[in-house]
Amino acid sequence: MKTLKGALFPVVVLLLWEIGMRASGIQSDSLAPPSQIAVAFYEALFDGTVLDRTAQTLFVVICGLGIGGGLALVFSVLMGLVPAFARLMQFSIEVLRPVPPVALIPVAMLIFGFGFPMEITLCAFACFWPVAIYGHAAIANIEPQLLDVSRVLRLSPVARVFKIVLPAALPRYFVGFRLSAAVSLIIAVTVEITINPLGVGFELMKASQSLHPDRMFAMLLWIGVIGGGLNWALLFAQRRLFGRAGLAAAR
Amino acid sequence: MSGLERSLWYLGSIAVTALLVGLWQFVADHGGIPPVFLPGPDKAWDALMSGLASGPIAKVTLATLRRMIYGWVLASLAGVALGALIGSSRQARDYLGPTLEMIRPVPVSAFMPIVIAFLGLSGDMVLVVIALGAIWPVLLATVHGVSAVEPRLVELSRMLKLGRLAMLWKIALPNAQPDILAGARLGLTVSLVLTVVGEMLTSQNGLGYYVLLEGRAFHSANLFAGVILLGAIGLVSNLALQAAEARLLRWSRR
Amino acid sequence: MRGEAICRDHVSARLLAPFAPLVLMTGAAVAAEALIEFRQVSHRFGARPVLSDINLAVRPSEFVCMVGPSGCGKTTMLRMVAGLLRPEHGSVFYSGAPVTEPAHAVAFMFQDYSKALLPWRNAAGNVALALEASGVPRAARQPRIATLLEKVGLGGHAEQFPIQLSGGMQQRLQIARCLAQEPAVLLMDEPFGALDAMTRQSLQDELLRIIQASRTTALFVTHDLEEAIYLGDRVVALHPNPGRIAQIFEVTLPRPRNQLETREDPEFIRLRHEIFHFISAGAA
Repeated sequence: MKTLKGALFPVVVLLLWEIGMRASGIQSDSLAPPSQIAVAFYEALFDGTVLDRTAQTLFVVICGLGIGGGLALVFSVLMGLVPAFARLMQFSIEVLRPVPPVALIPVAMLIFGFGFPMEITLCAFACFWPVAIYGHAAIANIEPQLLDVSRVLRLSPVARVFKIVLPAALPRYFVGFRLSAAVSLIIAVTVEITINPLGVGFELMKASQSLHPDRMFAMLLWIGVIGGGLNWALLFAQRRLFGRAGLAAAR
Repeated sequence: MSGLERSLWYLGSIAVTALLVGLWQFVADHGGIPPVFLPGPDKAWDALMSGLASGPIAKVTLATLRRMIYGWVLASLAGVALGALIGSSRQARDYLGPTLEMIRPVPVSAFMPIVIAFLGLSGDMVLVVIALGAIWPVLLATVHGVSAVEPRLVELSRMLKLGRLAMLWKIALPNAQPDILAGARLGLTVSLVLTVVGEMLTSQNGLGYYVLLEGRAFHSANLFAGVILLGAIGLVSNLALQAAEARLLRWSRR
Repeated sequence: MRGEAICRDHVSARLLAPFAPLVLMTGAAVAAEALIEFRQVSHRFGARPVLSDINLAVRPSEFVCMVGPSGCGKTTMLRMVAGLLRPEHGSVFYSGAPVTEPAHAVAFMFQDYSKALLPWRNAAGNVALALEASGVPRAARQPRIATLLEKVGLGGHAEQFPIQLSGGMQQRLQIARCLAQEPAVLLMDEPFGALDAMTRQSLQDELLRIIQASRTTALFVTHDLEEAIYLGDRVVALHPNPGRIAQIFEVTLPRPRNQLETREDPEFIRLRHEIFHFISAGAA
């Protein structure tokens, strides 16, 4: 019953939209009836555009996540295990963190020009922060007894990190990664819309500027699907990897 | 750790930052990278100071600030009003909730080309996009805060026979204050981002367009100056809101 | 003595109703002009029966305590009088009319006081809420708030927020807010349960003082048998599963009550023994 209620509003809106446009016969450069949007989407799907562009954007997202998240992993482990390091880095973090990644677009452009490296760099910068912060919190909150165990077993520092610290902090890290993934997608799409001629954002912008509203809305919906899909997939992975206990530890 | 120790560590971290800036200076002077790509901090600082004193940077900064704040205030007010309406009605939440959840994962900047198609590349368009983007966190936070009132307080309002409006104004909305303020803080971040992107896209007068132009013209010192300013705006606005939040939420456990 | 031997059992009280004048002469009151009345009230939560055939009459200015183990429905009964809950069968009457919704003259004191206070308003603001709800004009509020806070001993704490107040102070603030309604009836749901013994005792005495002065009718729910006897004019003992009134005991201890003397009174001890055995027998 509840899902029916929830579905009612969008369905009614879509119907009114469709009927309104068809009945009035308006030809618009900015609006298209839902049926036309669906057609445009299928066309774009079958001529390969959607897949191509999606692959490009996802490539950027994953690379950014990998680089930024990876660096953040190392950084946060250091911060967590060496409190002095964390304290000394505090001011630098406070100064760098509020810089909006989009403000760095011209800088990245200057250094790399158009294309993949520039976008990946910006995503990596954005992805760094959530993982670093969640990761630091995760490590700082590790059950102290686990660290005592590692001392009793006389583990080398490296072994300690890999056998005890990382596994214990993993659930919280994953939450940070999930957040970073969402941020990475947002930055990627934003950069593509603003200036970079690749990916789904660029396709969206192209459709808007070439006055193809059906294609434009189709790309918008598709971007929403990607966003939702990415989040869902990561939530699924989180549940599979960590189960109930992991979710609790991730709080 | 005592307050003194804490302060010392903080000073130490400032020193570390100064060291990193020194490193930047060193690399810029001796690292073999053309100053076009990496101006030293001294050059960036000069550009910043002279730009602020007489040049265009001050004007564009003000334009950006004005846009960012107008959009944010508009969005926050609308977000609270709409959120209060939706949050206080179970029917509204049932019918509209799933739609809101569906729109949530869409990156806000993706709406920009849509609005451009309607409003063209104008200052209005930027303001509309900023408002549309910044309303989101405030709206969702308000809905959540208003709908999650402590059951005891609901019963209390029944015992005191408070009308629907009184209940909303005296109990539900104050209860949602922490959520609303957190949402507003997020909204301000979104507002800044959309302002910058909007200015870049529409070539509107502002810091976003300024840094884009300077980048294209390879005036890297000015570019860095602009980026520093944007970072400063982000930092100061966030700190200001945090301070306001702390003051307004004195009564809270958090 | 007030002929408590005759009136101890509520059934006997009903049988004796025709002989009211005679009974009145012996000093015992009758349920003839009840302020609050339960008539054959039964209730279920889903499939679970919670109250079964409750009949109870509370006289004006009376202090009635309800005791019983968990699951005997005493909180449910209180919420019915408050108008927060409608009984499945039977009716609850207030001032002769069936209760359909909360009444202005009925105030409710919640057990979890910290959740029943507005955390974002200071002490004065919390009391003000009741005055705002009653439509008291802004100018008149300030002096009344000051008086009420004085009355509960929070005179100097008007500007403080609930989070800055101790448990006992928060509960006193709740009392002040209830009093701001100028209630004819005060419903209290284990109000002192979460407090330490010393705070509890001092609040008991404060409560009695305030209520005696205003002649408010009180319905007090508690786990604590001694508290019930100490505070009440009558103690209603409930048995659980489903909740039903097992017996009503008259408390004829002299007022004003005293923490030391009253609790050592032989009558107090006797009542304590009697009700204790009664309840344990019923819980078995």
